[in-house]
Amino acid sequence: MKSDTRTDARPARVLVVERLSKSFGGLKAVDDVSLEVFEGEILALVGDNGAGKSTLVKAIAGAQPPDSGQILIDGVARQLNTPRDASVAGIGCLHQGLGLVDTLNVPENVFLGRELTTKLMNCIPQLDQTKMRERTIELLSGFGISLPRLNDPVVGLSGGQRQTVAISRLLLQDVRLIIMDEPMAALGVEEGRRVLDLVRTMSQRGISVIVITHNLEHVFQLADRIAVMKNGRLVGLVNAQATTRYDVVRLITLGKSDQGN
Amino acid sequence: MNATVESERTIGHADRRWLFQGIGLTAVIIVLAILFIAINPRFGTLANLINILTQASFIIVIAVGMTFVITSAGIDLSVGSAVAFITVVAFGLIKGGLNPFLGVVFMFALGAFIGCLIGGFVAYVKIPPFIATLGFMAGLRGLALVHSAGEMHFGLPVSLTYIGQGDIAGIPVPVIISFAAAAFGAWLFNRTRFGLYVKAIGGNREAARLAGVPVNRIEVMVYVLMGMFTALGGLIMMTRIDSTQATIGTAMEIHVISAVIIGGTSLFGGRGTIYGTVMGALLLSMMNNALIIAGVDFFWQLVVMGCIVLIAVAISNLREQRIPLLAHFLRRAPKGAAANNPADGPSH
Repeated sequence: MKSDTRTDARPARVLVVERLSKSFGGLKAVDDVSLEVFEGEILALVGDNGAGKSTLVKAIAGAQPPDSGQILIDGVARQLNTPRDASVAGIGCLHQGLGLVDTLNVPENVFLGRELTTKLMNCIPQLDQTKMRERTIELLSGFGISLPRLNDPVVGLSGGQRQTVAISRLLLQDVRLIIMDEPMAALGVEEGRRVLDLVRTMSQRGISVIVITHNLEHVFQLADRIAVMKNGRLVGLVNAQATTRYDVVRLITLGKSDQGN
Repeated sequence: MNATVESERTIGHADRRWLFQGIGLTAVIIVLAILFIAINPRFGTLANLINILTQASFIIVIAVGMTFVITSAGIDLSVGSAVAFITVVAFGLIKGGLNPFLGVVFMFALGAFIGCLIGGFVAYVKIPPFIATLGFMAGLRGLALVHSAGEMHFGLPVSLTYIGQGDIAGIPVPVIISFAAAAFGAWLFNRTRFGLYVKAIGGNREAARLAGVPVNRIEVMVYVLMGMFTALGGLIMMTRIDSTQATIGTAMEIHVISAVIIGGTSLFGGRGTIYGTVMGALLLSMMNNALIIAGVDFFWQLVVMGCIVLIAVAISNLREQRIPLLAHFLRRAPKGAAANNPADGPSH
């Protein structure tokens, strides 16, 4: 099972997953999966429930270390035992719950865990709220986004705006690769479109994206390549332009396409 | 692409909702004060005003600590018992010849130690704060009684009674201490990393952890801080009346928690306001004072306070839209992008 879409014009490989496996008891959730993601590439990860998508990305995000196999980031093998390790290595994860604190405002959420500080009377550290706000506005406007009411708790924001805040958090960390788990779920059509735009913009800036989604329409709108998993194995890795929805569905359900693999 | 989201009014105004709430409470206090003065002019004298502030002083101090605890989604029922335990032990030591300054240091150390234990049980043994501090409430009261059941301690050195009874330019020292404590608390709460982490833990503990906040350590620190504010409150109490006994501070947790809740800090954690807490404590103190002047029995004062707390929490819940029907009337009209918000409440 080799990638059949590789060309020489590909940019640098940001992420390489080599022969990764993870079992839970007797169940092989991820079974000998190898995969690579290029700079600025949008890779869609699809498959039925229980196919192993979540386990695979959890390993990449450092949330659940694998039993065996290797993860290389920018060519360097990394041991990702905690989300912190992954974050340091340049991998950001957008959880389904987005990981926002509802009661904090936008800059506080964006900067939580890596606050900017200043010195009160040159000795006592305190938060630099002005600078955090300015940086937040800068980050958001870099993506053509302006949020009203930056100082209100984010609980009042819409689903798409919350996505934006969560993504800003990741951008702040200079991520190389963002993992998004069902980013368009629970969003309205218009909001979903905005998030799609945002993902495209990130990719144009050289940030790689792995998207898990059940929505094949989004997959074809967004992805450069599509990785299909079934029963813990990678059953297909296809170029989105060179395949059809029918083939992808066959891969998801039967584990094989018409061309044979 | 152009994913501009709605309005351009992104910068330049304060957090209006909290400002609104603080002003609202302040307005209630002013209106009530005018009402009380109209009923009985004795209420409005400067001496009585200072009396109200002095009576509120130790509640303010301890309630500032409690604001941190409640904002972290915790609660501390043990403050009254802690005051009793800390003051009887310290009083005994100071009467036994301990240097008064060291005695005060000892009080803070003991308060911090108690807070450390509570925080340890809450953060690492995962005992819910309500249960953990209920245990400490009983246990510390018991220890205070073991130490000096039926005994009335009195007779502190003048250097200490100055803290409770002295004044600077006519302003009682306890009042100055309480406002200094509140100012420090407000700075810590609003302007420091610690304050932000406390709010983050109370708002969404898991998100805070994933963001790299050392949640357990911060939680322990919250209770340590609470313990030190409790010690300061106890210091004011015992030096003001130059005495203490094992039953001091009984039911004090009700006053303290009430002040915090009336002030607008969310019982569900995640957000709070020190200014509101101070106003809440002043409102309670003022009500008590007015009821005393009016000659109302102490027991009825408790009933009135209970009603105030219920009303305050009810208003707060309505504002937070936990009661959807009435929320419609109380919510300020959403503007701009808020129009497409789902109307359901906070998700925790």
